[in-house]
Amino acid sequence: MALPLPKAGTRAALPVAILLLLGFIAPLAAIIAYSFATPRSFDVFSSFTLENYAGLFDPGNTVWLSFLWSGFFAVATVVLLAIIAYPIAYGMNRLFGRWSSLVSILFVFPLFVSENVRLYGWVLFFIKNGVLDGSLKAAGLEGGPDLLFTPPMILAGMVYTYLPFMLFPMTLGLAMVPRDLVDAARDLGAGRLQTWREVELPLAMPGILIGMLLTFVLGIGAVAEAKVLGGQSVIVIAHDIEIAFTYSQNWPLGSALAVILTLFIGALTLAVFGKLDLDRLLGRR
Amino acid sequence: MEQAAKRTRAFIALWTTLVLVVIYLPIACGALASLSKGRYFGFPIKQFSGEWWEKTASSIEIGMLTRTSFAVALTVTVLSVAIAFFGALAFARYDWKGRRLFQKLILLPIFFPQPVLGLALLLWFSALGIQTSWLTAVFAHLVWIVPVVTLVISIQVYGFDPTLEEAAFDLGCSRWQVFREVTLPLLWPGVWSGMLFAFLLSWGNFPLSLYTAGADSTIPKWLYAKMVAGYTPMVPALGTMSTLGAALALGLGGAILYLYRRRQMR
Amino acid sequence: MSSDVKKPKPILQLVGVRKTFGDFVAVDRIDLDVRQGEFLTIVGPSGSGKTTLLRMLAGMDVPSEGNITLHGELINEVPPNKRPTCLVFQSLALFPHKTVGDNIEFPLKVRGVDKATRKARALDLMRVVRLPEHYYGKNVMKCSGGEKQRVALARALAYDPEVLFFDEPLSAIDYKLKKILEKELKDLHRETGKTFIYITHSLEEAMVMSDRIGVMRAGRLVQVGTPEEIYATPADRFVSEFVGEVNVIEVAKTAAGWQGVDLPGLYTIKPPKDAAAEKAFVVIRPEFMRLLAEGEAADNCLEGTVYNEYSLGSRLQYQVHVGDKVMLVEVPRGRELRAGRDATVRLGFDARDAIVVGN
Repeated sequence: MALPLPKAGTRAALPVAILLLLGFIAPLAAIIAYSFATPRSFDVFSSFTLENYAGLFDPGNTVWLSFLWSGFFAVATVVLLAIIAYPIAYGMNRLFGRWSSLVSILFVFPLFVSENVRLYGWVLFFIKNGVLDGSLKAAGLEGGPDLLFTPPMILAGMVYTYLPFMLFPMTLGLAMVPRDLVDAARDLGAGRLQTWREVELPLAMPGILIGMLLTFVLGIGAVAEAKVLGGQSVIVIAHDIEIAFTYSQNWPLGSALAVILTLFIGALTLAVFGKLDLDRLLGRR
Repeated sequence: MEQAAKRTRAFIALWTTLVLVVIYLPIACGALASLSKGRYFGFPIKQFSGEWWEKTASSIEIGMLTRTSFAVALTVTVLSVAIAFFGALAFARYDWKGRRLFQKLILLPIFFPQPVLGLALLLWFSALGIQTSWLTAVFAHLVWIVPVVTLVISIQVYGFDPTLEEAAFDLGCSRWQVFREVTLPLLWPGVWSGMLFAFLLSWGNFPLSLYTAGADSTIPKWLYAKMVAGYTPMVPALGTMSTLGAALALGLGGAILYLYRRRQMR
Repeated sequence: MSSDVKKPKPILQLVGVRKTFGDFVAVDRIDLDVRQGEFLTIVGPSGSGKTTLLRMLAGMDVPSEGNITLHGELINEVPPNKRPTCLVFQSLALFPHKTVGDNIEFPLKVRGVDKATRKARALDLMRVVRLPEHYYGKNVMKCSGGEKQRVALARALAYDPEVLFFDEPLSAIDYKLKKILEKELKDLHRETGKTFIYITHSLEEAMVMSDRIGVMRAGRLVQVGTPEEIYATPADRFVSEFVGEVNVIEVAKTAAGWQGVDLPGLYTIKPPKDAAAEKAFVVIRPEFMRLLAEGEAADNCLEGTVYNEYSLGSRLQYQVHVGDKVMLVEVPRGRELRAGRDATVRLGFDARDAIVVGN
């Protein structure tokens, strides 16, 4: 008697599942394994120690500063982008009409431009004798502000980079608010602010939450902005991890840091995902 | 009421335009910097020159970079679409037991910072004793890009009416004929969009390539290295060229999609 | 009605067909003979199992129990692409990326018929379903609702199936167009001589088009008969109420005769089918409930007060309070009541006009 063939869905999911198993789960498992190895060594599986984690609790360790900076930047980026992106998401759904597609393309295109190109463009803008400084001087004014290589610049860079990741889920979320409901609320006597608070916001929340989650998760692990725009003013946690992996050749330490970061991200992600209905969000009838 | 609505409309339009200008400003700055004659950037530009573009276009090293970037992007495109096509069917079409879990799991690589993923993969490759090269970079790109392409194709699959396949079957098609005559033509726009996404995301990717490409260099890697040490206006020149290339690819891809849809609607 | 020359013989037979989904029984033991060349409609409310039944006949689902035979051969597990049958879907399932011509030719194309032959046949079919020839190259999504129906019909006929199944194709169409398409379907049936199996929730549609009607409820076939039989001699209350609003009086057998349970009085009625029955329901259609004039007599009389009057176009309907119940009376225009609301009236119905059912 032949084995029953697994259902079509299971078979279709197999290639992706295998890819993610080998390329995502396995590396993470390797990192977890390495985090328990002797510091500065490569003998994974042959050693087991909690030294790497213990070292983090050393009050002199600056790693916590990195975590705090990363967390701060991520939260600040989320808050700023939520405010910046909302009107645009609203416009895409309600106002732009035929132009929505064009606007979408204009906002998506930067994702295809290498982040280095974009961030270095900002360097060229803010640097001494750069676009800003030079134009102001040419107009007879004082030179441009010395913003480069400071924390506010890093934040600005992150807000700039992660806009699409807040914008598109938000747009999807707002698309889930049926026009009828808003009209009905107005007809029943609600003012604009009340309608927004009672009807639009709660119904768009799934999309907004995804946008916030995505922005936060990517932001807390971001390193390009801090490096290119921040110089050495701030070391973010992803930079610490990179240093541990490359210069210090201390893979166990880097792994321990990565594990903590991953646990944090994973917990947040699974918490939000647990409440989601992806079918409805992406348009299943 | 009307006044308030009009004002809101104007505000939103203005805001969107402002944000778009800010978004494209650095790209414009890069383009400017590439056209300045001297080695160091100064604004306003004293003398415009196309020499750096010329140097970039004729550089052998950059030619190699471009070929590597292209090879990686092309391979990623073909493989990711093949895998993601079935992933999208599993995501949006078939009803099966693990579907809801699958939907959430497939998003995890997207909700993960790329630098950390790149480093994790580097560690993984070393632990397995695999030498990093452009091939490992392809693998790294796939881990992130396949979920994205799966989502893109899934959106098309959601709009697909399964009774059309049943009808074709009932009218006498074999399973293969159903796929060729009904399923594929109707899903093609999603597949094509997925291919565009895959190619462009791989072409411009930096964090993953940095850690997993080993000795092989891609355009973004080279740009970063020169940005940090050894800046010449070839950097913004190549950057702008790369951007223009991406825009061209997107434009062509979009045009083909538009024409395909037009032909179907006749 | 099937022609008198041919004796009707079964082309499809269902014996004990049953379909369950887990614990849910969708179709509960159906026995049915479908005669060759007939127009058979299965009616029932939503959830009665008629769609599941149709899908099993078409081959999309496999019965959990029982046999389906075509010309005597078992076809339970034969897939739809190997059956000489064709299903017209509720949504029509027209291929949106193909033209009218491509849609109609599709079954021929997948069977390897050459382009010239296909085109000739498609144009032929377009004539049969009354589609103008220039529609051949038109994208099918640009057609109107009625035109799409015709394309779906032409496509279904293209490879000459023996049985055509229809899954509520007219449910989403406006009234005028529906009336036109009903007549055209009936004509098509006569012209092609094929067996049509049609499902709908509207008995009115069924009455217009069918040779026979099968009434389904909760997975079972409650009654199968000609439209006249369903109308005049329904098997039970459910079937009788399916046609439209009816008046129902519950009666119980006593020594004196049939006594009303909810409306007291002695009733003269035809005997129920089950001679030993102690209880029965008397069903009187509103058009058979009469407003009795002074001195007019009827087998059964009731007294009540007029509660409301409704205009139904060419007829008028009165709601009359009789005891605790509301009786419905329909009269043609010209015979309306002179007095208005709150008038006392005498209602009457004859035994021969009342349907007696057991439940």
